[in-house]
Amino acid sequence: MATLNITYNGLSADYALELDHQVSDADIRRIAVEVVRSGNVPGLALPHLNDAAFDAFVVDRLQGGHRIYLRPKVPFGA
Amino acid sequence: MRIVFCGVGALGSTAAVLCRNLEATLVFVDFDRVESKNLLAQAYVKQSVGKNKAEALKLQLLNFYGVKAESFGVRVTADNVATLCKGAQLLVDCFDNAASRKLLSDFARATTTPLLHAAVSGDGTFGLVRWDERFTPDAEDVAGQATCEGGEHLPLLGLLCGAIARTVQDFVKGGTRRDSMVGLAAVTPTA
Repeated sequence: MATLNITYNGLSADYALELDHQVSDADIRRIAVEVVRSGNVPGLALPHLNDAAFDAFVVDRLQGGHRIYLRPKVPFGA
Repeated sequence: MRIVFCGVGALGSTAAVLCRNLEATLVFVDFDRVESKNLLAQAYVKQSVGKNKAEALKLQLLNFYGVKAESFGVRVTADNVATLCKGAQLLVDCFDNAASRKLLSDFARATTTPLLHAAVSGDGTFGLVRWDERFTPDAEDVAGQATCEGGEHLPLLGLLCGAIARTVQDFVKGGTRRDSMVGLAAVTPTA
């Protein structure tokens, strides 16, 4: 069991993810599109979310992979 | 404690102002100059337009709050990073490009200097505060990608800079190294 945290358009929410094998970053992005479209992520129900919505997003795996963060790139500071 | 802010634009300048109460010497490094458009999203005031950002921030802290700081109005390079960061007990990376972030990371790892990174997305909806041991710089999608400098995203920048300042404060107080993700609705600790 892992927790997938999705940040999109400034909002962020957790989704409990059953994983029985190592999934790739591309899989995570694909799963995220589906669960957000389905309305199963609290606060992030977007039925018409584009297939490519998360293509440029970064997948961070923390806490030994138990927490997976799907987030926008953050290239800027100054 | 000597704290060196590398890059004092939208994030670095505002976070530094929020760190003005710390018992520390604040040092600012930035080669850039204050432009009038910067007043919308950065901590600079009208009287600073045209000045070097590091120097302007030093003067503002002194004139507005009576806080003494140091400034270096230069670009950080492999040749001068050791000189600029000499004696630092904490480095705060608020640069706007992956190459400079990596340069700072390499120095921090070689010298075991604590390094805190702060970064924001191009659309101004999301930011990260993350310690170097868990940080990988993100590249721009497109070189020269537009940033959120117009002031539209000031509330998010305010939240993010508050999280940076709190993280610095926790480190100064007890050495705690906390990571955060900052969105429009929440600041979420992640480590």
